[in-house]
This record gives sequence, structure tokens and C-alpha cells, in this order.
Amino acid sequence: MSIIEFKNVTKRFGSVTILDGVDLAVEPGEKIVLIGPSGSGKSTLLRCINGLEKIQGGDLIVDGRSITEGGSNIRLIRQEAGMVFQQFNLFPQMTALENVAFGPRRVRGSSLAEARDQANELLARVGLAERASHYPSELSGGQQQRVAIARALAVRPKVMLFDEPTSALDPELRHEVLQVMQSLAEEGMTMIVVTHEIGFARQVGTRLIFMENGHISVDGNPQEMLANTDNPRLRDFLRHVVP
Amino acid sequence: MQFDWSVILEALPQLLKGAQLTLTIAVIGLGIGFLIGCVAGLMRAYGNSIISLVAFAYIELIRGTPIIVQVMFIYFALPLVADIRIDPVTAAITSITINSGAYTAEIVRGALLSIHPGLREAGLSLGLPAWKVLTYVTGPLAFRRMIPALGNQFIISLKDTSVFIVIGVGELTRQGQEVMATNFRAVEIWSAVAILYFIMTTVLASVLRGIEKRMRIL
Repeated sequence: MSIIEFKNVTKRFGSVTILDGVDLAVEPGEKIVLIGPSGSGKSTLLRCINGLEKIQGGDLIVDGRSITEGGSNIRLIRQEAGMVFQQFNLFPQMTALENVAFGPRRVRGSSLAEARDQANELLARVGLAERASHYPSELSGGQQQRVAIARALAVRPKVMLFDEPTSALDPELRHEVLQVMQSLAEEGMTMIVVTHEIGFARQVGTRLIFMENGHISVDGNPQEMLANTDNPRLRDFLRHVVP
Repeated sequence: MQFDWSVILEALPQLLKGAQLTLTIAVIGLGIGFLIGCVAGLMRAYGNSIISLVAFAYIELIRGTPIIVQVMFIYFALPLVADIRIDPVTAAITSITINSGAYTAEIVRGALLSIHPGLREAGLSLGLPAWKVLTYVTGPLAFRRMIPALGNQFIISLKDTSVFIVIGVGELTRQGQEVMATNFRAVEIWSAVAILYFIMTTVLASVLRGIEKRMRIL
């Protein structure tokens, strides 16, 4: 059974249509890389999955629950779909450890000791064990983003959503974040990644989706799509992003 | 003329009694006013158009009229229009409450809107209900940013209690006026009254500064 299913999803901001009847099924374990020109709707598509954007038409099922049903439904979906943001969005008044322990404490109701142990474990996993007591302002962008990944993982989601996770980083810091994402992929996590990192799509992605004007225009195997595509606009797009 | 310290010494018990009442009115009024301000500020920042409009109407009505008119209305007009009779001190506390609440609402709204929306989204994305995000993430951050403006507002409201002289509340200014009426020592009495206000506002400001320093946030 699909873990995420878009059924003819429409999203509008006022009179502007951002997603225009999108159909998409995501199977457990897939690593989907979403690419497309700016304004094509890829970030919006991601943000619809955990309900940060409301959809205006169609239906969107995440882990067996419809995003259109209100109440606690949306919170349960969010606990299964972790989100990593372009701007990290770490809580500035909390240390790295407190940021990671926050979800388990306040969402899952774990004890303080339990949440701290788990947070330490996760920080070690993203290579930041010795930075646990640092505040976000004392960390580099790459370190902040790795803490943000650990924070999302702490709630034990089934899917991870990445919204341009490396776009705000200097080139030399991207690598450390991509590496964490790659090892997460190797552990079998279902991932949807909006990115311009074509190398990541080729190496880690199991499926590449090219979006244009609120539509999915190409959907296929990354290696094949990147090697020879017959879609002229995708070819044009790749020429601009691949250095 | 000669400054006669004994005049102040003599008047001090009565002035301190007034200062005590001033402080009582200010602390209760500001305390409840802060809660009202938080609610109205939240309504303005996050409410739908109707909820926001209700808060907006309250804020504009209060900010658009002088506090002296507000207290006159509560004390003299309310008994006539709604048959609500309250004693002067209650009227004074009510005025400070609704008055400071309106100004505080705008401080709260401004602080909440100044918090990067991504932090709220990050909290919501973990699966937290909105009230928990407010309590643990955006609220504390916003509160720290409110403190300088709140300090201003608290000081203004504390001094605003002096207008309650018009409804006969025995606060500090009123007590000064009464002492003056018996001994005609304007220089000594008004100096003493001014210093007592100054001490109260300074203490209030330093308490807030202390809170600001204690909160280790951005």
C-alpha cells in the first residue's frame, strides 16, 4: 500500500493555481527527488503532505489518513512525516540536544531522561555528539541542518520530507548534510527531497520527478532520466542546474 | 524660600499610604491588563477576520480616547446607562486594566508577528498542537521581545493612575494635593510626590530588566 497518495490534488493561492490536479503515489522505501524550475510547485507539493498548506481540491492520503479530515488527524500525519526546512528553523532558545529532545517530550510524551538519551543517540548519528549543548547560533549552517534532521527523526516518522535542505548552505557545508541524508536513505527511510543537487538524485534517488507549472511532467528512474531525456524542457532545465 | 525637610517627614505617612494605593491599582490593573492584552494580541495576530475585528475595535476604541474620559465614563456614566455602580478604586483598577490591555495587545501582536514563521511551522511539523507551539516555542521568544515595550507601557500606566484624582481615589497625587491644601508647602510636597513616583517606576523598570537578562534567548 502506498504511504502517500495524491489524488487529483489542487492547490491555489488566491487565483493562482500552484498544483493543478496532481496524482502521485509514493511507496514505502522510495527515495523521490523532486526537481523543477522555481514556481513549479515542488515545495508546495511537499508542504501539502504534512498539511502546512491546505489543498483546495482532490484528496491526499498519508499513512492511511486523509489530510482533508481535520482535528487531531493532521497532527498524527505530521508525526509520521518529518520535515526539514531550507532555513533549518531550529528553536533558537534551545540547545541542539533540547531541540532534538523537544519532539519526543512534547509530542510523544517521553520522559526527560528517555528523550535526552534518544537525542544524544540521534546527535551522534548525525555526527554532532560533541555539539549537544551548543545553541543554534553557535553552530554552522551545516551543523544546524544536521540537528534539524535529528530533530525530525526524533519523533520517529515513517517518511522524511526535505525542502531544499542544502540551498541555504555554502558549497563546502552541503556535503555533510547530503552525507547524513544518504545514510538515512541507506537505512531504508522513505524520503521525498526537493533539491537542485542532481548528484544526490543520481546516487541516492530511486525515482526522479520533474515538475512544471503545477504538473508532474516527467516521472522515472533518475539514471535514465539524467542520461538521456526526450523531454526538451527537462533537458533545458538540467543544462542550467548541472554545472 | 527655604526647603523644609520636616514638612516632608510630617506628610510622609499620608504620602506613603497614597503610594501604596497607586501601586495596588497599577499592579492589579497591569496584571489583568497584560492577560487581556495577550488574548487581544493573539486574536489580532492569529484570529480569523471576525475575531481579529473584535480585538481591533477594542484596541482602537481605547487608544482613541483619553484615559481620563474612560474613567469618568466608568465611574459617572455607567451607573446611568447600565445601572452599574462601583466604588472609585474598582473604577480606577478597571480603567487601568482595559487601558493598558489595549496598548499591550499591540505590543503582543507586534512581538508575535516578529517571530520567524518558520519556527511555528517547525513546531507544527513535529505534530504539536498550535497551543503547544505557542507555549514552548513562539511564546517565549515573543515575550522576550516584548519586554522593552512592556516596560514603557507599565511605567506609563503607573503614572496614569494620577488621573484618578478626578474620581476621588486616594492615590499618591490625591494625597499630595490634600496635604498641600492644609500646609501650602508646594515645593516640598510635590518634590516628595515626584520622588515617590520616580522610585516606583525605577523599581518596575529594573524588575523587567532583570527578567530580560535572565531569559537567554536570541
